[in-house]
Amino acid sequence: MASVVGESATTSAPPGREELASRGRARGNPWRRPWLMEGFTWLYILWSIVPIAIAVLFSFNKGASQATWQGFSTKWYVGSGVTSVLHNPSLHHAVIQTLVLAVLTTVICVPIGVSFAIGIDRWRSRTSTGLNFVMIFSFVLPELLLAVALFLLVTQGLTFIKLGTPAEVAGLVVWNISWPAIIVRARLVSIGPTYEEAAADLGASRIGAIWRVLLPMLMPAIFASSVLVFASTVDDFVIVEQLSSTANTQPMSVLIYSNVHGGLSGPALNALATIMLVVSLFAALIGFVGYRWLTRGERRKGGTAEALTNIAGI
Amino acid sequence: MSGGHVKLESLTKRFDGVTAVDGISVEIQAGEFFSLLGPSGCGKTTTLRMVAGFEPPSGGKIMLDGTDVGNWAPHRRNVNTVFQSYALFPFLTVAENVAFGMKYRSVPKSEREGRVAEALAMVQLAGYEKRRPNQLSGGQQQRVALARALVLRPSVLLLDEPLGALDAKLRRALQVELAALQKEVGITFLYVTHDQEEALTMSDRLAVMHQGRIAQLGTPEEVYNEPADAYVADFLGVSNLMDARVERAGTGQGSCHLRMGDFTLQAQAGQLDATGEVKLAIRPERVHVRPHEAGGANCLPGMVERLVFLGSTTHVYVRLATGSALQALLRNDGGAVPYSQGTPVSVDLPADALRVLPDPGVSVEEIRDETLGDAPLDVTTAVPSSG
Repeated sequence: MASVVGESATTSAPPGREELASRGRARGNPWRRPWLMEGFTWLYILWSIVPIAIAVLFSFNKGASQATWQGFSTKWYVGSGVTSVLHNPSLHHAVIQTLVLAVLTTVICVPIGVSFAIGIDRWRSRTSTGLNFVMIFSFVLPELLLAVALFLLVTQGLTFIKLGTPAEVAGLVVWNISWPAIIVRARLVSIGPTYEEAAADLGASRIGAIWRVLLPMLMPAIFASSVLVFASTVDDFVIVEQLSSTANTQPMSVLIYSNVHGGLSGPALNALATIMLVVSLFAALIGFVGYRWLTRGERRKGGTAEALTNIAGI
Repeated sequence: MSGGHVKLESLTKRFDGVTAVDGISVEIQAGEFFSLLGPSGCGKTTTLRMVAGFEPPSGGKIMLDGTDVGNWAPHRRNVNTVFQSYALFPFLTVAENVAFGMKYRSVPKSEREGRVAEALAMVQLAGYEKRRPNQLSGGQQQRVALARALVLRPSVLLLDEPLGALDAKLRRALQVELAALQKEVGITFLYVTHDQEEALTMSDRLAVMHQGRIAQLGTPEEVYNEPADAYVADFLGVSNLMDARVERAGTGQGSCHLRMGDFTLQAQAGQLDATGEVKLAIRPERVHVRPHEAGGANCLPGMVERLVFLGSTTHVYVRLATGSALQALLRNDGGAVPYSQGTPVSVDLPADALRVLPDPGVSVEEIRDETLGDAPLDVTTAVPSSG
């Protein structure tokens, strides 16, 4: 009799952790590890990273093959022959051209985009609402269409913009203006009008308030969009392909494309692509670190995720 | 710091056909602590924003020391604002925040540092110069915002619910401090709040706003003790409102006879010459709850519905035989409350505490909803009370 009482006492006691776990397995424990989701995530990461890793790996191949590993070497980067990026004029020209385009585009595009965003957000009228659409222009327009249209424009109409670097920069600025416009506008919305009102209240004129209060507060957004414009210019192919003129104004992307099937092939192209990748990643890294630094006063916790999503422009 | 006399003349603001401020006129003396009190949506913040210069008026004048500044840009007006969100510039230190406006007021550079220190000392934040706003607590940020405005020695300081984001205890401490500071600097304060306690404790005078108009203007004592209408009575603290009908107006004899259900009452305060339907108001602290047998003039039978212990007092909710609900305040002075839920009681409403108020044409419940800031869009078309 006593043992029966004891038994009933144990079963009515709160269930232990193990018991809960086994029960959970049977009924679909909501806190179990999401194996399926995790599996797919890793599959996705592999799928996107492995080809890039292979391309990078073969830029360090000793032989001229892009398929058979023949030992480590940096000769495709700095080797003495004309086949290395350093010593082949067309290859290192492409690197320089890419950087020139990226810097020029960023320097021109970001201030215009920032003014655009401030204008649309702070000057409310029918015109500004209409221009709102222009802001997301490059997200909805096919890039090729814009590239061909710009090509016709600079060859038939505005011929004072010469094909080559001037036309490339003009095209890239138009194509990339959405980055600063949208990111800065998002920040403007989250800042709200109160800080400008406070500045005006303390004696600042309209322009003074923008200059002394709004711009410093927009710095993280301006910085993030600069990084994105830079990285996206480095990656760009369609516009620069249309608007480049001679081989001298071909950036890395165009050169890789035109040589990948024949012409100058081999691991030197891999080396070029790797440089392009490193430049983009470096820009993203600067962006991430810089954004963290600029917004250091605004975060409480969990700031990394926020900084990343802001950098990504979401 | 000269002047500070503000006169609003028929000031009006309409947003897309909705009238937020409906022709208010008020004169604020230099050096006065004046509050605009009302629930959200009553037009008090819009009024303040018009005085600050953030909204252009749709009509009327804003006279600041005799000049109409209604259409001046904010930076040209000698008024400063303490914002509800403080709006401290996050990228500047405390000292830089406070010094921000002096550049525009042509304060010599040599004087600036001294004035910043003086302003920070005034709000008891000396030594915090190098901090950034995000390293300060809410109360400290509020003080920086105050110092930033006061350092410019404006003729009028506008405060938009500056204590709204702070917890109750800190808010009470800052109320006292703020009122003392205002007396010290002698600047006109125009203070906007929805908190009646704040307005009552700090103001020299206050205006209770209702639907874009001023419902009552007066000293805290006047407005609290002699509310002009049922709306003000209910908004300023808990007030018992009841529907009644005048049997004999009290013109000339100091006492008005009223009928409430099957009972008659006498009232000696408020609008004694009123006729027809009226509202009766009485403060909970003036309502006496007696044992059931107790009778007499102005005693009504009822039943205890609920007891709410509040620490120093206990709220007794009584349902009267006439159907009205009443609250009484019992001081907790040692003895146990001799009532419980369902106890039949007799409620004594002293005639001198019973106030006759004009009937606004809406029910007691609707007035209550509105003072809670949850007003129906158009109260004038609401169904009139059946009582």
